[in-house]
Amino acid sequence: MDMTSLRHKYLRHDKKFPHVWCPGCGNGIVLGALLRAFERLNIDKDRLVLTAGIGCAGRLPVYVDLNTLHTTHGRALTFATGIKLANPELTVMAVMGDGDATAIGGNHFIHAARRNLDLTAIIINNQIYGMTGGQYSPTTPYGARAATAVYGHIEHAFSIAELAVTAGAAFVARGTVYHAAMLEGLIEKAVRKRGFSVVEIMANCHVQFGRRNKMAEPVAMLEWFRDHAVSAANANGIPPDSLDDRFTIGVLADVEKPDYIAEYQAVREKAKQ
Amino acid sequence: MDYSIKIGGEAGQGIQTIGDALGRVFVRAGYHVFSHQDYESRIRGGHNFYQLRFSSQPLAASRNKVDILVALDRESITRHEKDLTVNGRIIYDASALKFKNGGPAFLDIPFEKLALEQDGDKIMVNTVATGAVLGMLGLEPDLILELIADTFKNKGDHVVHANKNAVRAGYEYARLHCDTCTFAVAVDEVQQRMLVGGVESIALGALASGCRFYSAYPMTPSTGIMNYLASTESEYGVIVEQAEDEIAAINMALGASYAGVRAMTGTSGGGFALMVEGLSLAGMTETPIVIAMGQRPGPATGLPTRTEQGDLEFLLSAGHGEFPRVIFAPGTPRQAFHLTNKAFDIAEKYQIPVFILFDTYLADSQWTVDSFDLNQVRYIDYRLRGDAFKNQQHYRRYAYTETGISPLAVPGDASHVVVVDSDEHDEEGHIIEDAATRIRMVEKRLLKKLPLIRTEIAPPDFYGDQEAHVVLTGWGSTYGIIKEAVDELAKSMSIAMLHFSEVFPLPDLGLFDYVSFLRKTKLPLCIEHNATGQFSRLLRAATGFEFKIQINKYDGRPFTVEELIGEVHDRLGNI
Ligand SMILES: Cc1ncc(C[n+]2csc(CCOP(=O)(O)OP(=O)(O)O)c2C)c(N)n1
Repeated sequence: MDMTSLRHKYLRHDKKFPHVWCPGCGNGIVLGALLRAFERLNIDKDRLVLTAGIGCAGRLPVYVDLNTLHTTHGRALTFATGIKLANPELTVMAVMGDGDATAIGGNHFIHAARRNLDLTAIIINNQIYGMTGGQYSPTTPYGARAATAVYGHIEHAFSIAELAVTAGAAFVARGTVYHAAMLEGLIEKAVRKRGFSVVEIMANCHVQFGRRNKMAEPVAMLEWFRDHAVSAANANGIPPDSLDDRFTIGVLADVEKPDYIAEYQAVREKAKQ
Repeated sequence: MDYSIKIGGEAGQGIQTIGDALGRVFVRAGYHVFSHQDYESRIRGGHNFYQLRFSSQPLAASRNKVDILVALDRESITRHEKDLTVNGRIIYDASALKFKNGGPAFLDIPFEKLALEQDGDKIMVNTVATGAVLGMLGLEPDLILELIADTFKNKGDHVVHANKNAVRAGYEYARLHCDTCTFAVAVDEVQQRMLVGGVESIALGALASGCRFYSAYPMTPSTGIMNYLASTESEYGVIVEQAEDEIAAINMALGASYAGVRAMTGTSGGGFALMVEGLSLAGMTETPIVIAMGQRPGPATGLPTRTEQGDLEFLLSAGHGEFPRVIFAPGTPRQAFHLTNKAFDIAEKYQIPVFILFDTYLADSQWTVDSFDLNQVRYIDYRLRGDAFKNQQHYRRYAYTETGISPLAVPGDASHVVVVDSDEHDEEGHIIEDAATRIRMVEKRLLKKLPLIRTEIAPPDFYGDQEAHVVLTGWGSTYGIIKEAVDELAKSMSIAMLHFSEVFPLPDLGLFDYVSFLRKTKLPLCIEHNATGQFSRLLRAATGFEFKIQINKYDGRPFTVEELIGEVHDRLGNI
């Protein structure tokens, strides 16, 4: 299906546009990839639920014509958990920013991964707090400048993907908005996977991050992604984030294990006997 | 002389740059300035405006009428054209907006073309527009040229030069083409005033009070405090920590306070909801803390960039258990500065949480003030530290005293231990269960302190006619709006303002019996930016006085002076 038909099918195109994102924002590329992934997955729109937290990334579900919950900052996964447990037939996704998912929502994130409920977390990692004006986030690189790191950031970033793997997620992938065509495939795989899946998407916030870090134009940031992303297949067993300022993209973990609902059903069977 | 300038456009177009530059020029020219902003929760796009009023008289609010409208988008014209004064003018760039209006109020100034002619850069559209406004007003360009030299000095001579030319281009164009403009503004006697906003004043108050630690999680409208303090970190030695969430933010501040420094946190309603656990802990452990709580319309994420006074009752009852607290609600930058100082003093003296309850309207409006009176700043170190602590025979963190205030010692300064506990504890800070100790601790922590804290609270501000028939009562950020409404209405009626900036506990009636005063006026009105009248309910609970008539606004926008006057007129029938 061409992009125009996809937009008509999946967006609240007559109501919610123009969107709030700055010109050139990476979030638009993520939204496009998401629509293409929906189409590939061929899920009944009415059985798909999108939850989100607060932030620029969190605004994404506002534009899609699905059942959506735009909730509170950091909490998207908890609502998603409730939805999935109440009705496991639904496909439930949560869209979050890096601050949303791993600062204020960090606790929920690791526990959702550990619980391994069949949810898909889409984390748009722009390495900064976009919505509130450029304060540093848990993924802001060491030395980078932010509104609250005027002289350069003294804390170190953590890797969302590695965190997800260690916390127990069944599927973890990373992409960038430069590698737009790859994104839809990663999202598709993540949704198809039974268990907790994470797709971390490196995205440009040239306005809040780039301007403070010598990449004021979206293109400069996209080129940075192009030059620093290494395909997981070519990384030759190097751990995903031990590559200095380079990082791996692609599927980083895909673990076969029973998800929460399978475990739950098994324990119920056992209890009945 | 009293002019208002409105700059309207999309987020990201630089309306704030123009407004800030003009504001600073007017201040340097010796005028009083008041500005406020109205913007959407987005980084780019939408419709936003910046309103700037300047006059030779002190100002406390914006007015509806606009003398010069700088329209950077078409919506500015459709929305604000109606507010133009008879001799008012709209300046806009017809080719950029793809729209032309030949009406007498319209002046097409090719901002983009003029900017491109200077340096080939559209970024300077703002500089051109700033120059154009000054040209229309006839205010000599020296001041803005100085300001540009200052602002861009780090960017090199080329940038300074280009911007100076851009200002001149806008200035000359407006002088030449605004031949029917009737504005006349000259440099007044030059006075050293400063232009400050609400959040800045709170931050400055914290610095003046010796605050050494600020931890927070960004949330509008409080983020400005953290950004400001972070930018002065090297100058004043305040440690600013951006926490991973608000739970961490308040607890970090409590940790710093326990360690012996003055500590503060700041947030908005949604973030404060997460701080409530820590607040209760502060109550139990008697750890001093100042909390700046910036209200915006809720519930939940609400209207993130707009204003409301909807969280007073939330603060009054937040935190499980019973413990003392104080709430200040400044109405002006000056009050914000001094009440932040008083908050630190009281927090340290009584070892309690103290709130600065503000809102988006106060946070984002700017006023001229002569200067903050540093002689009025109070700084007493109430803590037991260094040798004074070392020389103690014994030390008990929660020793029973006449006042309920126990010595607050700095751990590490002596070999005595400083033990605090979130469980109920004895004088030494160790966990207990027995009823007798519990009773004595509640008396110490709460009942003995309450009457002492009350003596610290200042009476409300009174302004206007002592025998007023109509009294406009308010609290917090509505100060300026009410005051200006009283000034206007006083021309036709007997009226006064009663304004509370120290809202909890409410002031005693000893110094000023505001309750008797309210009882004897014919039309006492309570004005609040909320739907249910939270302050009026508090006043009734504390004093028994009930406002029969309230004026409430809850659309997320502050009252304009004209709107408030209209509301008062609508209620005069009740006299
Ligand atoms: C409890 C709470 N604290 C703070 C905020 C303010 N806030 C809104 S979005 C945001 C951070 C946005 O950054 P991120 O999650 O990285 O998303 P982005 O905007 O960059 O997409 C913050 C701090 C809030 N809404 N709620």
